[in-house]
Amino acid sequence: MSCEHARLMIGADPEGSAPELEQHLQECGSCRQFRTEMRTLEANIRRALERPPASARTVRSTWRPLALAASVLLAMLAVLAVWLLRPSDTLAREVVAHVQEEPESWLARQHVDAQSIDEALRGAGVKLDITSDRISYAQSCWFRDHYVPHLVVQTAHGPATVLILRNQHVSARRNFHEGGMSGVIVPAPQGSLAVLTRGGADTDAVAAQMQQDVRWLPDAH
Amino acid sequence: MRNSQPESPVSSISERLPATDSQASITQLFESMRPDLLRFAHWLARDRSLAEDIVQESLLRAWRSRDTLKDQGAARAWLLTIVRREHARLYERKRLELVPLDEALESQTPAKAADPDGDLFTLRNAIMRLPIEYREPLLLQVLGGFSTEEIARELALSTTAVLTRLFRARNKLRTFCGLAPAPDVAASEAAP
Repeated sequence: MSCEHARLMIGADPEGSAPELEQHLQECGSCRQFRTEMRTLEANIRRALERPPASARTVRSTWRPLALAASVLLAMLAVLAVWLLRPSDTLAREVVAHVQEEPESWLARQHVDAQSIDEALRGAGVKLDITSDRISYAQSCWFRDHYVPHLVVQTAHGPATVLILRNQHVSARRNFHEGGMSGVIVPAPQGSLAVLTRGGADTDAVAAQMQQDVRWLPDAH
Repeated sequence: MRNSQPESPVSSISERLPATDSQASITQLFESMRPDLLRFAHWLARDRSLAEDIVQESLLRAWRSRDTLKDQGAARAWLLTIVRREHARLYERKRLELVPLDEALESQTPAKAADPDGDLFTLRNAIMRLPIEYREPLLLQVLGGFSTEEIARELALSTTAVLTRLFRARNKLRTFCGLAPAPDVAASEAAP
């Protein structure tokens, strides 16, 4: 077991134990030290969670008029910001940031079974006609306050990531290059599709194929 | 039609309607779980009144589905799952007016002064600041006692993704507590 794997196991469950991990810890002082620190932290986390948190949201009736006025102002600012910031750019940046948070997705090579694909699509209001043997990664990810399907499709020129964004509407297709990735966001009948690659995959072709393969269900909820 | 099934498991209903022994038993069981459910919902929603709404709605759903609960020993995990889903539903459908978290936390300064254990206060704030995708699996594991596989099923994630999120959650808390963050395991694994 490598130190990286050991630390993943310890960080994910400091109180957990496995023969492989224990064997590694016998030979690795720094990972032993890491587990000691994490177990101390874990004890404190458990103590911290014993009490409910301070509320982050406050609702005070005396503030409602001010809150209402502030809401109106915020709404106006939001409209202005939407216009100024060009939402497709912002969306592209967030899509890239999301994919960067799941680097393991690019490494998947095995086909995902149909049940896992169904789970990834659950609640997203879409169906896929694509054959599962081309999909090597399928997760349901939290993105902009919704669960969205996050897929990796294997192509002849390498993997391409697809996010099916039912709740994100764009007015026109937009290509982007950011964070070592290139991609495209295209409008779809009930939202949009984002397709990204780190290599040579043809994102336009994948986007066109996904446009055909994704069936948008009438009601997502 | 006569309403032979009480519509809520909460004590207010059980006081109003005559209950069979089994109904009384499950009412008592649900009520005994309420503090745990409320604490879990509160950490998820980060708001007391919202947490109370979530728990109330969850108990109502649980009461309506109580026949599916075959093993009362599994009631706690079952109810926590319902609370999590109710929170997710609410989070999806409702846009709540938020005050900035920093502002809300700063407003708690007197509480911090009164708290004999300032480190725990810092840690509570740090947990509050965790993004929901990290806070949720951490709460399911620590407060709910769910295994990695159970969390993966509940959140529709792979086990590896859950391990990574739990690792990152604690790694972020390490930083808040002044410890050096561990290298991001998943990121380094992904490096060529």
